[in-house]
Amino acid sequence: MTAAPAQILVFSENTALLAELIGKAQQAARPLGWEVTALLCDEPAPGTDQALAGASVVYRPSQPVSSFDPVAVTGLLCRVIAEKCPALVLIGATRLGLEAAPRAAERIQADYAAWVTGFDISPDDSSISASTMLYSGVGSADYHFQSPTVILTAAQGVFEAHAGEGNPPACVTVDYQPEASPVKVTGYSDKPAGGASLEQAEIVIDLGQGVKPDDDRALINELAGLLGGQLACTRPVASERNWFPDWLGLSGMKVSPKLCLTLGVSGAIQHIIGIRSAQQIVSVNNDEGSAIFSQSDYGITADLYEFLPVLVERIKARGVRPC
Amino acid sequence: MNILVLIKYSLDIAEIKVDPKTCDLRLEGVPEKFGNIDKNAVEAAVRLKEKTGGTVKALTLGPARARDGFKDILAMGADEAILVEDPAQGNADAVVCVRVLEAAIRKLGVFDLIVCGFASDDGYTYQVAPRLAERLGLPLVSYARSLEARDGKISAERDLESNLQQVEAPLPCIVSIAEEAFPPRRTTLMDAIKAKKKPVTVWTAQDTPEIEQVLSENQTFSRCVGQKGIVVQRKQQILKGQSMAEIADQLIDSLIHENILKEGE
Repeated sequence: MTAAPAQILVFSENTALLAELIGKAQQAARPLGWEVTALLCDEPAPGTDQALAGASVVYRPSQPVSSFDPVAVTGLLCRVIAEKCPALVLIGATRLGLEAAPRAAERIQADYAAWVTGFDISPDDSSISASTMLYSGVGSADYHFQSPTVILTAAQGVFEAHAGEGNPPACVTVDYQPEASPVKVTGYSDKPAGGASLEQAEIVIDLGQGVKPDDDRALINELAGLLGGQLACTRPVASERNWFPDWLGLSGMKVSPKLCLTLGVSGAIQHIIGIRSAQQIVSVNNDEGSAIFSQSDYGITADLYEFLPVLVERIKARGVRPC
Repeated sequence: MNILVLIKYSLDIAEIKVDPKTCDLRLEGVPEKFGNIDKNAVEAAVRLKEKTGGTVKALTLGPARARDGFKDILAMGADEAILVEDPAQGNADAVVCVRVLEAAIRKLGVFDLIVCGFASDDGYTYQVAPRLAERLGLPLVSYARSLEARDGKISAERDLESNLQQVEAPLPCIVSIAEEAFPPRRTTLMDAIKAKKKPVTVWTAQDTPEIEQVLSENQTFSRCVGQKGIVVQRKQQILKGQSMAEIADQLIDSLIHENILKEGE
């Protein structure tokens, strides 16, 4: 009898992220003949079937475990790891994932790295190495792991989702009674709804503090309309003005559009991390010494309130459209 | 309520420069301070103390020079600060740091509440609170945006991606503070004068057997084998012209050239 193939176990309660992690896991597993498995903790969200199509097995607990309970999810992860012995566990870097992953690593004494941007499995000795964000993304760090199971977390947008083709995975039930969490949930309240799907936008218009707080954004909206662009902002704008609930940056969303047009953005590294995957960055800022210009392909040193009306007028006059 | 707040003397990551040719990180001379996230945690702890009475002690694992940063923390209302001089000199990863912190916490005695930031300003790996919760066997309320103590319990709002979750946890427990929650107060000259009289304790591995023990059990401080800076090359072309219209046309031409825009028929 041959030994079961080594496996990569994937978990994320975020369906889009799950598809990306499974996509990356498949890519890594295929040349080695490894197996990709996934863990679902509760009722699958819409789109989960397609996300799971890249996995050969999906584990589900005998009783659903709430993805809002990090302790129960940790227990479930540890149970599946103990039973199935995956060499690698890939977890989505969501608030849940970033709590459950180090907890699980602590419980089973596994090597763990957060915010992975890539990983490798050695074809010779199956050892796992990874690169992670360092200093919030100013740099990167390389790791070489030693524990029998290695746990990694990766954010949305780092890896590409698989095509969603393939047979549905076999479902395997894992016997698990969630331990009672000492933290009791007493209710939920809404946060302001998230903006349009910035991750998919080809053109993003990124508003910084140089945009005046009393700006009615009529002109900016007109520009966005002409370019088919989505509006986004920096963290200070999101927290000080009731414009958008989300922001771009280290702690917010990370986008990779064809064009990011920044307006009045200063270029702090914490923000740049959210936009640096853009193919082209164009920046308008009235301070010629602004750090944003060293992070931009094209810079315009101008008062944006003088430049934008002219830009809008020229776009209209020339009948320019997005490709 | 006796509260311990964990803080980190962090690098100001906005000041870290990357050599554009070698991708080396230039860390020398990068300013350090207790991070914004840490000050949010101190603010949360001090506000609770003001409501319930008790004390706030601040604990940090860091370089000897982190003492310089204590004055702000003490001025904000912490009563005492403890510095564990980092035996690994910044080279230990979360696994070892958490074990050193755990040893220091156990040595300090019993607290009703341990408060820390959801991550550190420089490392930003979100590991300390969950790992400590596991090691100390305490409940963790992570990503707290609001916090209240009553009847021997903590009630809080956890800031999750899709909603806010209201929770209750028994004391003692650990709370990690969400991003930008509890903006730190402005301190006065009087606060600063009072802060000078507050006790500061420094522990080194040599004179603290509990910490020495952790080090002897962890010969390797980190699985990290290399570090480098990330450089994204950009054209950095500043568009100049006689008029705004000329610059706007240059920009439109450039974006047509980059296949982002196209001219209408």
